[in-house]
Amino acid sequence: MDGMDDETTVFTTLKSFKSFISKPETSQKPPDSSLAHHHLQRQYLQRIEMEEAAEKICSKTHLLQMAQEKQQMELSHKRARIELEKAAHISARDLEREVDRNQELLNRIKKLEEREAETTRTLNEQMEMNKTLKKSLEGENKKLEEKESVISEANKTNGALRDEIRELNHKLKKLDMQLTTQSTDNQGLQEQLELQRKKYQELTMKFQELQATQSLNSDNELKIKELERRLALQEQDSVIVRNMKSELARLPDMERELKRLREENSYLRETQENSNLLREETEGLRRKLERLEKLKEDMVSLELEKEKQATVLQAWENLSEMTGLNIRKPEDLSREIIQIQQREIALKQQNHSVTSSARALEKARAQLQGEVTDLRTKALEEQKKREQQDALVRRLQKRVLLLTKERDGMKAILESYDSELATNEYSPQLTRRVKEAEDMLQKVQAHNLEIEAQLSKAQEEIGTYKLQTQKAEMELDVLKKQAPGAENSSFVMNEEVSSLRQKIEELEAERRRLEDQNNILEMRLEKHNLQGAYDPTKTKVIHLRMNPTNIAKQQRLDEVEHLREECQQLRERIRALQAGGAVTSNEGTLSLPPSQEVLDLRRQLESAELKNQRLKEVFQKKIQEFRTVCYVLTGYQIDITTENQYRLTSVYAEHMEDSLLFKHPLIQ
Amino acid sequence: MSSTLKGITLKGSAELVAEFFSFGINSILYQRGIYPPETFTRVTQYDMSLYLTVDPNLKTYLNDVVTQLKGWLFDCTVQKLVLVITCLETNEVLERWQFDIECDKTITGSSGTREKSIKAIQEEIRSVIRQITATVTFLPLLETACSFDLLIYTDKDQVVPEKWEESGPKMIADSEEVRLRTFTTTIHKVSSMVAYKRTDCI
Repeated sequence: MDGMDDETTVFTTLKSFKSFISKPETSQKPPDSSLAHHHLQRQYLQRIEMEEAAEKICSKTHLLQMAQEKQQMELSHKRARIELEKAAHISARDLEREVDRNQELLNRIKKLEEREAETTRTLNEQMEMNKTLKKSLEGENKKLEEKESVISEANKTNGALRDEIRELNHKLKKLDMQLTTQSTDNQGLQEQLELQRKKYQELTMKFQELQATQSLNSDNELKIKELERRLALQEQDSVIVRNMKSELARLPDMERELKRLREENSYLRETQENSNLLREETEGLRRKLERLEKLKEDMVSLELEKEKQATVLQAWENLSEMTGLNIRKPEDLSREIIQIQQREIALKQQNHSVTSSARALEKARAQLQGEVTDLRTKALEEQKKREQQDALVRRLQKRVLLLTKERDGMKAILESYDSELATNEYSPQLTRRVKEAEDMLQKVQAHNLEIEAQLSKAQEEIGTYKLQTQKAEMELDVLKKQAPGAENSSFVMNEEVSSLRQKIEELEAERRRLEDQNNILEMRLEKHNLQGAYDPTKTKVIHLRMNPTNIAKQQRLDEVEHLREECQQLRERIRALQAGGAVTSNEGTLSLPPSQEVLDLRRQLESAELKNQRLKEVFQKKIQEFRTVCYVLTGYQIDITTENQYRLTSVYAEHMEDSLLFKHPLIQ
Repeated sequence: MSSTLKGITLKGSAELVAEFFSFGINSILYQRGIYPPETFTRVTQYDMSLYLTVDPNLKTYLNDVVTQLKGWLFDCTVQKLVLVITCLETNEVLERWQFDIECDKTITGSSGTREKSIKAIQEEIRSVIRQITATVTFLPLLETACSFDLLIYTDKDQVVPEKWEESGPKMIADSEEVRLRTFTTTIHKVSSMVAYKRTDCI
């Protein structure tokens, strides 16, 4: 502010200065030009001085300003320091306060934490309690639900029962109505019944009269029949008498015949005895005849045998001529046979010994053949070895020749080189060439050696192969000699062998197939056996007729039939009830056990009928009483003839028909 | 019984086999539930407890069959005994227990004994009946009402007695078969097997 004031003072001084400068310009202008020139110079100098003074003023003011500013700064500094100190104080106090507050807050926090812990503990406990409570609640909920369900079920059953009760009430009402209708029907039917009874009585009386007449009729008819019978008997008697008469006439003839028959009888008895005797004789003769016939047959057969034996004997007798031996009897033959057998035995023994010796000889021969083959192989080997040795010798000789040739050549070269050595100075070249030639020579020699080694190896192999082939050929020769006829047919044998092998393989394959088939069939048979199959030609299956299965089936059928019959009867009953007919006592044959409802309804019906009956009786009695009392008291008997018409009969009337008729107008 | 003698005769063998069949059939009826379990009573036989029926009709039926079977075993004319279980509603055969009998015909009527102890035979019979009891684990449940029948396979020329009649073999259409153990008295050899109708649930 002071600065600003200073600056404003500066500006004001400048402004005054400028105004001052400008004033003298205006005032001093019109006089003269030289004066003006001096004036101008002076003005200019003044101006310059003014400007310098202004500058000095400016600088002083500036200084003043600066000093003021400095003072102000210091002041402000102090003020600031003071303020800072104050602020520091305040902040220290605040800090203390804050620290205190902090501590308090910390304490509070601790307390709160403790409390929190406590509360968490309590919370946990509460949670646990909650859980237990929840569980108990759930349990109780479930129980409640169960109870509710039970209650709902009970309600449902209640509702159902109420519906049933309503239905039953309906049914009761219906039945009551039916009862009333039926009672009215009953009344009508009873009146009809009375009419029918009256008719019945009349009819019975008529019937009795008819019966009486019928009995009379029957008696008359009986009498007629008796008389007819007597007549018939009498006719028969007359016929009999006539027959008797005729028979009596025949009597003497009969007596004569009787005598004759008796004589014949005796004669026949005698002849019967004779015939029996004759029959026995014939039987004996027949048996004899049979025996004789049998004997004849035996004889014939015996003769045949005899002839056969004779021929045999002839043959036996001729045997001696045929065989040329001294044979007359079979004993001789047997003796000859024994001799022959002994000879045979001896020959067999000889044969055996000969065969054993032959076998031994064969074995020896085979052994010797083996030895022969071995020796032959050995000889061949020796031959081979000799040939090899000869080959080696030849090779070595060739080598020697080659070496000598080389040596000669080298010698010649050396001589030529020696001869030429004096003339030229190509000795290093020559020595080099010599070395090269020697190297080449050595290489060639090494190559030669290698090739010769290979050659010798190949020749050895060839030798071994040749040995093997020769051994095989020898064995083949031996075998060929052993089988005499097989030399020509070696190829045929091979073919036969291959064909036999093929056959064997085919047979083996077929055998395996058949074995598999056999196994499969056996398994199938086992399975069928387990399932119960059998051979009807060898086995049969039987069981008792009255077995539990049959009995159970029969019981089932009977039950079904019984149930069907019950059904039928019930249907008929329902039809009858629907038609409204009276349930008569004939339907007591029903085997239905009456249900409780039916029994109740029957009881109700009976009670209702009883009530009806009693009411009727009481009504009857009462009305009768009333009528009599009316008659006695008033002296008039009142009868209802038809609707609204009444007839009065007086006590003192002379005839029954004397009466007074009254008509009542229609009562609404 | 021929328990005191050392050897087995034809008659003794027939009795043993008939007795086995009697107990075996009762066991099968009890295990398969053809008759309610309360109609069975427990008895001890072959050193194990078995079940016998007390239903009088069933008892008479079984006695008739077993006595006839004993006679035929003595004659060596019987080849198989089959117990067939049929469902009453659909009339189809559900199970078939088949016992094959092989008779050694070289043994003559009343002479000849074979050396085999009764104990060994009873041991074998015990194992067969145990196996029959064990088959209940894999046989399918019989859920419908069933009844059974006994069929006997005999030689073709066997005379059919008065109350008996011929019948079919009553085989099962689509069956699984299982072979069980055999036992032999050296005169009669009895091998058992069971065939049951394959069920669709697996």
